[in-house]
Amino acid sequence: MIVHSIESLAALEGEGLRCAIFLAGCPMRCAYCHNPDTWDPRAGREYTPEDLFRKIKRYEPYFRAAGGGVTFSGGEPLLQAGEIVRLGRLLADENISYTIDTSGCVELDEDVKAAVRGAELVICDLKFPDAGTFKEYTGGDFSRVLKFLDFLAAEKIRTWARTVIVPGINDKEEELDRYIEVLRPYVDSGAVEKYQLLGFHTMGFFKYEKLGIKNRLENTPALPAERLSDLQGYVNDRLKTPSPAIL
Amino acid sequence: MDAWRDFIRGDWCEKIDVSDFIRRNYTPYYGDASFLSGPTERTTRLWEHVKMLLKIEQERGGVFDVDTTRASSILSYGPGYIIKGTDIILGLQTEKPLVRALNPFAGFRNAEQACRAYGYEIDERVRQEFSYRTTHNQGVFRVYTDTMRKARHAGILTGLPDAYARGRLIGDYRRLPLYGMDRLIAEKQRDRRIIGERDMTDENIRLLEDIARQLEFMNALIEMAAQYGRDIRRPAECAYEAVQWLYFAYLGGQKEQNGAANSIGRITAFLDIYFERDMKEGTLDEAHAQELIDDLVIKLRLIRHLRTPEYNELFAGDPVWVTVSEGGTGTDGRTLVTKTSYRMLNTLYNLGPSAEPNITVLWSKNLPRPFKEFCAKVTLDTNAIQYENDDLMCSIFGDDYAISCCVSALREGREMQFFGARCNLPKVLLMALNGGRDETEGLQIGPVGEVFPEGVPLDYDKVVERLKFYLSWMARLYVNTMNVIHYMHDKYAYERLIMSFHDTEPNRLMAFGVSGLSVLADSLSAIKYAKVTPIKDERGLITDFITEGDFPKFGNDDDRVDSIAAWITEYFYNELKKTPAYRGAKHTLSVLTITSNVVYGKKTGNTPDGRRAGEPFAPGANPMHGRELEGALASLNSVAKIDYNFCRDGISNTFSVTPGTLGSNTAERAEKLAAILDGYFAQNAHHLNVNVLNRQMLIDAMNDPTLYPNLTIRVSGYAVNFNKLTRDKQLEVISRTFHDRM
Repeated sequence: MIVHSIESLAALEGEGLRCAIFLAGCPMRCAYCHNPDTWDPRAGREYTPEDLFRKIKRYEPYFRAAGGGVTFSGGEPLLQAGEIVRLGRLLADENISYTIDTSGCVELDEDVKAAVRGAELVICDLKFPDAGTFKEYTGGDFSRVLKFLDFLAAEKIRTWARTVIVPGINDKEEELDRYIEVLRPYVDSGAVEKYQLLGFHTMGFFKYEKLGIKNRLENTPALPAERLSDLQGYVNDRLKTPSPAIL
Repeated sequence: MDAWRDFIRGDWCEKIDVSDFIRRNYTPYYGDASFLSGPTERTTRLWEHVKMLLKIEQERGGVFDVDTTRASSILSYGPGYIIKGTDIILGLQTEKPLVRALNPFAGFRNAEQACRAYGYEIDERVRQEFSYRTTHNQGVFRVYTDTMRKARHAGILTGLPDAYARGRLIGDYRRLPLYGMDRLIAEKQRDRRIIGERDMTDENIRLLEDIARQLEFMNALIEMAAQYGRDIRRPAECAYEAVQWLYFAYLGGQKEQNGAANSIGRITAFLDIYFERDMKEGTLDEAHAQELIDDLVIKLRLIRHLRTPEYNELFAGDPVWVTVSEGGTGTDGRTLVTKTSYRMLNTLYNLGPSAEPNITVLWSKNLPRPFKEFCAKVTLDTNAIQYENDDLMCSIFGDDYAISCCVSALREGREMQFFGARCNLPKVLLMALNGGRDETEGLQIGPVGEVFPEGVPLDYDKVVERLKFYLSWMARLYVNTMNVIHYMHDKYAYERLIMSFHDTEPNRLMAFGVSGLSVLADSLSAIKYAKVTPIKDERGLITDFITEGDFPKFGNDDDRVDSIAAWITEYFYNELKKTPAYRGAKHTLSVLTITSNVVYGKKTGNTPDGRRAGEPFAPGANPMHGRELEGALASLNSVAKIDYNFCRDGISNTFSVTPGTLGSNTAERAEKLAAILDGYFAQNAHHLNVNVLNRQMLIDAMNDPTLYPNLTIRVSGYAVNFNKLTRDKQLEVISRTFHDRM
């Protein structure tokens, strides 16, 4: 597996104390991405699933104390779904659970299906609520996300949805109404447990400069924390979902 | 009144055994913090007055006033009050709050320098008096060898207690309220008769003189208490007296000597027994129980010693380490948390955050969950407390040990410590490469050896072989130096009162220390896994290195380098043990620097890990900042690999994390912080200082101290008010790794 980086204390990437494995490579080109350094599928260090398993196992005392586990993020972790499945078997033998943090914009092949079936929780982005804006700001195919969410619902895999709120793009209540519309059937059927909003921040800007990649949002400010909190309250009220961590 | 009414009797009645008394009589508390009381109107009034005095102290450059007219001892001052009639727990070191006493017994010149640093001159009569007596400092320098002086001068051994008192002792001050001084005196007289029957060897003669000196000061303490209208000859009869007697016992020790870090011990389960009894008898309510603890803590926050600027360089922020140990689990499996543990932590709310007393939570996996989460909440709100692994220490020291200073466990009243200094490990490496010469001044300090050739990449095995040779040489020199210091300290500055609250023949530990462990580990890793080529200067000394290629760095849970840190401590400890320690003491080792990592760094040249000359070391056992690439838990896992069995004087780790990394609200953060502590200590790690704050807040506080006047942060083993740090130390703290999320 090509691992971009490891963050051993990622308490917010799921439940309990999490060790986040950021896998290299992403097919999306989200305008607001704060990790453009993970786009290149070769930008990282190669591990065998066994090596990575040994590394993760070292955090078991913390997982046991707080009911945590591993979170595969990225990049797009499901690009390496086959490897996640192999590693997942080793983790399952030790009762260490994993969460997948994905764009959901992936081809639903057998490896991807197996990888998400093995997950304790899937955190799936709903980056934009319609095919047009989705394409414009991420370069991806929106229909894949809906198919992915349908699959999670059909398989009864625990799911949280997530959206990054970017000032001037999707930070108005009426814009969020369209996200709510897409999510409502999943929430009502119990397929999506929580809907979490993340605030756009500028802490990843330096990476664009370093990599010589054009930053489309270089003049966009970070979303104020109070605004994020208000919007989170707004979607919670509309969807009747429990309040997730405000990041 | 019967002082022991309603107490369950046992062994403790027949012999001095406070821990047996506690075990039979205390009430474990499994509940939460909802019972706690805020400060009384009286407490707030008294504390407001103290805050005003503290502000003046700060405005006067850190010293409120010095009494230079007499040398401090138990009876050299009359009674002192903050506000007479308003104080509940009585007693100050001098006659006025914050006025520092003069204590030249361990070193006259040191006391004189300390006075002069703040614009004071020692009174002529005191000068006269001390011209006729030998101080500890004079004794030591009569005996120091040339090599000892050179090692001290070069800064390979730094922080030797050869000019002020050694400190680090914890008297079992609980003995005074439980037994009363008459009984304690009778016990010492009995010991004197028993030892008097033995052959008069050096050690037995010394013991008899110890007892005589102890008795003299036990009687003096009776008189000191009498000046406050209290009769400590008898045991304490109520909660107030228990707190008051205990404080008198501690206070007497603070008047007698000026050692760094004479801690107060593990006192709350003991006091809780008196609180519970008074409450059952209907003579005490929660508000007044809290008031007693608040008032005790106000007194403890006023403890001061007069220090030289050099001392402040090593131990910044004017610390005294009135360390209080809380929590833990008894050997019978019951929690040692009582309601009074909560009351002690509650002082940080009632009186606001403070560095002193240095509240240390003895963390056990079996602590009641509400207590774990309350402690975590206190950290989130105040950053004032530290955590140490009770499950680990209890298995070695039993359940009645307390923490002295920062991380040193001692059995209360049964064990004492000969403390001293730290060995600068990276300098030993540089000395090994330079054939025994110091890399800065070029002085030949160690045995003459081969200097590694210039331009040739260093060979790891060869370097390790030479390093081991010089570490062995260093270990012997270090033990011998400490032996000289403690021989002279016993002779000229023996802690008569503090030692009277110890068993007459205590178990003795000699506590050694190392600094720069992560710098040495990374340097050796660079030599092993990258290519390190030495560069010589015009004197032929290796003073720089070209380091090519990457290498594993301590702090990433990478065994390739973590194992280097582990073997260095094991090796050095085993080498120390080869030289016998004074009075049959057992050798122990700490990886703890306080804030001295800055000074050690200043005195150390370029190192092969890429650290430049003069740059600070990481504090304690911490990885070097900026080299931890896999986040907080990876860093903790590396430190956890240093084996406590070789470092029983403690392994200090200071950890800073931003609030947002832990969670989005206090409850979630507290839960996750508690889980981090559980996970870290489950690996037999020893100590964790936790700061939950943002770097920006520290930068703002540095630029404008009035923004956060009470900003308390944990450094290495203790807490300081951030504003009391010098700018270079503030910068070093700011440069440390803050575990943050992106």
